Amino acid sequence: MATLAPAPEPHIAQEGRRVLFRPGLVLKLVVLAILVVLIVGPMMGTVLSTLTPTAITAWSDVLVGRLAPNLFWWPLVNTMVIGVVCGVVCVLLGGFLAWAVVMTNIPFRMTIGVMATLPFMIPSFATALAWGGLFKNDRIGGDVGWLQGMGIDIPDWLAWGMVPTLVVLILHYFSLAFTIIAASLATVNSDLVEAAQIAGAKGRKILMGIILPVTTPALIAAGSLCFAGAVSNFAAPALLGLPVRMQTLSTRLFGMIEVGQTARGFVIGILLVLISALFLWLGNRAVSGRRSYATITGKGGRAKRFDLGTARWPLFAVAALILLCATVVPVIILLASSLAPSSAALFSNWTLHYWIGESTANIAQGTPGIWHNPDILWSTTVTLGLGLCVAFTGMFIGLLASYTTARYRSGWLSASIVQISFLPLLIPGIAFGAAYIAFFGAPIGPLPALYGTFAILVIAGTGYLLPFSVQTGRAVIQQVSGELEESARLTGASFARRMWAITVPLAIRGLAAGGILIFVKIIRDLSLVVLLFTPTMPVMSVLAYRYASEGFTQFAHAITVLILVLSIIATLISNRLQTKSQPWLKA
Amino acid sequence: MLELKSLTKFFGNVAAVRDVSLSVPDGAFLVLLGPSGCGKTTLLRMLAGLELPTSGQIVFDGQTVSDGDRQWQVDPAKRNSGLVFQSYALWPHMTVRGNVGWPLKVAGMDAAARTRRVDEVLAMLEILPLAERYPNEISGGQQQRVAIARTIAPKPGVLLFDEPLSNLDAKLRVEMRTELMRLHRATGATAVYVTHDQIEAMTMATHVAVVNKGRIEQFGTPQDLIDHPATAFVATFVGTPPNNIVPVVKTGWAGRLAGGIWASPRRWTTAWPCSGPRA
Repeated sequence: MATLAPAPEPHIAQEGRRVLFRPGLVLKLVVLAILVVLIVGPMMGTVLSTLTPTAITAWSDVLVGRLAPNLFWWPLVNTMVIGVVCGVVCVLLGGFLAWAVVMTNIPFRMTIGVMATLPFMIPSFATALAWGGLFKNDRIGGDVGWLQGMGIDIPDWLAWGMVPTLVVLILHYFSLAFTIIAASLATVNSDLVEAAQIAGAKGRKILMGIILPVTTPALIAAGSLCFAGAVSNFAAPALLGLPVRMQTLSTRLFGMIEVGQTARGFVIGILLVLISALFLWLGNRAVSGRRSYATITGKGGRAKRFDLGTARWPLFAVAALILLCATVVPVIILLASSLAPSSAALFSNWTLHYWIGESTANIAQGTPGIWHNPDILWSTTVTLGLGLCVAFTGMFIGLLASYTTARYRSGWLSASIVQISFLPLLIPGIAFGAAYIAFFGAPIGPLPALYGTFAILVIAGTGYLLPFSVQTGRAVIQQVSGELEESARLTGASFARRMWAITVPLAIRGLAAGGILIFVKIIRDLSLVVLLFTPTMPVMSVLAYRYASEGFTQFAHAITVLILVLSIIATLISNRLQTKSQPWLKA
Repeated sequence: MLELKSLTKFFGNVAAVRDVSLSVPDGAFLVLLGPSGCGKTTLLRMLAGLELPTSGQIVFDGQTVSDGDRQWQVDPAKRNSGLVFQSYALWPHMTVRGNVGWPLKVAGMDAAARTRRVDEVLAMLEILPLAERYPNEISGGQQQRVAIARTIAPKPGVLLFDEPLSNLDAKLRVEMRTELMRLHRATGATAVYVTHDQIEAMTMATHVAVVNKGRIEQFGTPQDLIDHPATAFVATFVGTPPNNIVPVVKTGWAGRLAGGIWASPRRWTTAWPCSGPRA
């Protein structure tokens, strides 16, 4: 027998190694360390900084002191109203559109489906600015909006405060609700509906008895995410509410830090985190144990669509109106008002001065057009650089974290990596920004203070968007079967080499898509960077916000248009990249 | 010689493999046969070095490659073994040539030698014309051949197969069976082959280990298993058709057939312990 065997390899015995750690332990520890620096550290830093002997009075000031109603309780009431109304209305609107697109024969279904995902791509400060361009009245002076300019008297409640804030936020967040609910409705396969039909149920009964219960988890998830988004939103209440002194927790937090009362600001930030965390947790609790509904699907064909009959076109008109208001109208107003010298006459005397004009003393106090404005050009460079860096670091860490938790699932280390990486979802951007100032604002050991540097923007952006990058990374990793990687391990390839030669090439499509998503999210973000902004490191969204608050609306609108264009270009590039990167899929 | 010494593997509190010991000579074709979930794949993954045993040793050619008692093992790539996955696990972004050549590249073989070896192996498996195709451009049977080519290219001394034929249609399965036996003879490597298909086991193996609930029920040649099944489980699991089990009732030194068993389920159960090895 022995003669048949190949010569035994002489080196085997020497190359063994003792397995000191469970597989993946080193990787888990590395990922956990990164998460601690990015997320846990800043949060702990914030909490601890309010507990120092000098700062601890901030808690009583905010909660029970003489100023408490103004500092906390009234903003809290406003915040809750915004959150609840926005959550409910977004679920109704998004649910209606999702139902129409997925389940009915409404005309132009596909177009409506695509349009309904767009508003979330338009930053809420863009919609808020557009609202001002349309409805601004003479209450606070300065230029009035187009409708007032046309001679229509706009009442204060429609121009400022709660109503416009709500409308703007709803027009922004219903798109998120649509995406979640549509995805869930799409899993209700035709078998479920047909089984109900065979049982004798008719349209209404099927909707109430089958479809609604099955999609309840999605409705609750959508509602709580819209709630959390709305309570932490900064741009809309800041642009539409602050001029008439309507404060929310996020504008209060911003104001406190701006005037140097950081301890009070941090306390408000911590309370804001607790509130949005509480509601997301409640939402999560309400749907836990029900989620399994969505996964029980057989092969199932496409559901037969409900025939809307004569209601087809009226319902289409409603859907089209909502979508036009949320997408086309704001963009037209922004574009027009970046060209019009006076927003009261939005469509006359158009000039390119605000885009390409040189400094002229009689227009906008001599501010040159954005093409010649060094501040804006520099901020564009910073913003693009920031987007690229965060997209890269975000996807890198996201891939590492999701790889670790997907391949080495067991143990409490894995569980804590998952939990911590989704923590930023609970933290409003502005509170996150505040936490970064608290943590990185002062030197840590030998490291210098990072406040005002490009690095802090990148680190904050990476940490803030980690839930998205981990989510994307996880979806990507799940597509690459563990055996593909294991068979590479058998060849003796190192971890880095396996990643580089096997996992990453297979995952590049998802990675590119995730990277672009992060890029778009960070370049149009205002709430995270508004506190980290410094004149030496300006970013476009904050610059637009500053211009808008100072009354230079044309510049604000021009920059916003630029951000929108960049977002669209980025999305197109990602689509192109995705189709080109995988020749082996083209068979 | 391939040797397993009291190999045991726990996942948490669950024992997937318990106290498995066996040895086969070089060039043997060992089949691990058992129902799904019996621990045979875990056994194979320990042989490949993908899982570390909880206790016990694995010895290839007199050299210990895994030692659960010392929590020590040789890296998967350095134990002179190769594994063919049930799903084939071909890298979809590499051509057939890329798939077969990459392990050689990782091992540091230079480009010219690599091309030679890849061509040689592809020719051996009769898939040389497919060298520039991607895995999704070839059929399931061809993918199977690529997976085998990739595994034998580095000339491993031990070939491991995890239910390699289970994804093929019936006709192809019979063809590949012959093909695998031819390859086994040509390479001279020791083969360990996991399957739940007793026909595959009986036709291909020189040695069969019947595995059930993490333990070896019987280890022997195919003929042994048919002629002298050691347990009732083995008797019912192998052979076409499998053996019938007839309950008997112990009566003194002999026994009698348990009559009327159909009418009395209780007596059926009491009869079981006496159904001996040669029932």
